[in-house]
Amino acid sequence: MEIPRVNTLGIIGRFAIAMAAVVVIQGILAFKFRVFSYFDLPLIYSVYYGFVLGNPIASILIGSGLGLMQDSLSGALLGFNGLSKTLIGFLAASAGTKFNVDQAITRGVALFLFSIGDGLLVSILGLTAGSATSTAYGVVLGGWTLSAAFNTLLGLALFGYYDRFGNATT
Amino acid sequence: MVAASKKPIWITLGVVLALQTLLISYQANNRTDTTFMRVWLLGSLAPAEKLVDLTLYGIVHVWESYFALVGAHDENQKLKSEMRQLQMQLSRQHEEILEARRLRAMLSVPDSGIGKTVVARVIASDPSRSSQTITIDKGRSHGVQTDSAVITPAGVVGRVIYASNFFSIVQLILDSQSAVGVMVSSTRQQGIVTGTASRELQLDYIEDDNELKEGDEFITSGMDRVYPKGLPVGVITSVGERRGLVKVVSIRPKADFGRLEEVICILERPEAADIPGFIEDQPQQE
Repeated sequence: MEIPRVNTLGIIGRFAIAMAAVVVIQGILAFKFRVFSYFDLPLIYSVYYGFVLGNPIASILIGSGLGLMQDSLSGALLGFNGLSKTLIGFLAASAGTKFNVDQAITRGVALFLFSIGDGLLVSILGLTAGSATSTAYGVVLGGWTLSAAFNTLLGLALFGYYDRFGNATT
Repeated sequence: MVAASKKPIWITLGVVLALQTLLISYQANNRTDTTFMRVWLLGSLAPAEKLVDLTLYGIVHVWESYFALVGAHDENQKLKSEMRQLQMQLSRQHEEILEARRLRAMLSVPDSGIGKTVVARVIASDPSRSSQTITIDKGRSHGVQTDSAVITPAGVVGRVIYASNFFSIVQLILDSQSAVGVMVSSTRQQGIVTGTASRELQLDYIEDDNELKEGDEFITSGMDRVYPKGLPVGVITSVGERRGLVKVVSIRPKADFGRLEEVICILERPEAADIPGFIEDQPQQE
């Protein structure tokens, strides 16, 4: 029996296009609708790919790519979101092998914690690199919490949609 | 059954994290110019943003052109009337400009015009929450360079921080890393206004803050060599207690950042020697 040949380049291409689309859509929606600046589609997709693929190496590379693309279209130093999303991709893939990530409650808690962790890590990197914001801690914490709540809700809706109609690369 | 080794996972994670940390470290210390990498990524991703923006614009345009014409006749009449009034106002101002030019020539004061400009369309904003930036559809091939000032007729918007051939990233004056050299339009006192990562600006430094009051207007001083002198920046909304060197002064920007669609890029950077009337405008010490 002939084993079907896996087109590696095709798969990488599909992932690259999907990742670029996620970052572009995030930038445009954040510009058109101010509320969308609280969402973080690249973070949601880093977690999603981590859960669905269950492959830590692929999740690390996807998270890293998403974060670097996000940085390239922003004023932040290259690597802020890249480093953060790399860790999130890895942790999501590791969590996918240890917990039942098909349950909404597990996904919700994970998305919320990853969102807070992302905000915290990017802020720490900003402080370390000398480009942190001068906003009061209360405002920053409020922003993280709001963003985490929005990401959790949107993430749960998107995960549900992809479980029913999609696959990992679309 | 032998369990799969986790070694490759840890190696990949370690290598990727180390590379990203090095990248941040090099940029923070300005030891390596990573502009080429960012410009390449910007040049690769921004065309997709432009494509989506054009598609959305097309849909909205078709809707507005064919389906939303109810009441267009009345609006047209009103606009014609407004246009006639504006034309009269414009002709009066044209006369004043000519008079100002004659006076400048007589006094040998150089023209304080903003020079060459290009109009750009805003196509996206920062896809992360780590900075306050926008992407515009003009780049190096249109004459836009790093540190080109970006304005609207209402006021200062920001400066270009990265420019690829056809697209640029603009750091808004709202960004916490942004600083603008300003002066109070009435007293000509010079200062520095910084962003707060929110919708307001704050005063970072001024020579004397005792005379500041609500409603005072800040204009660019030109001393930062990015923004030409005399452009509107913002209006003081509140003057609080002193914290450190200066009082806590909140400033509402003149430009409407919630409705940025088109912006103007100033292609010629002001040089210190070209900043007109700086010495002349200083208040005389009694």
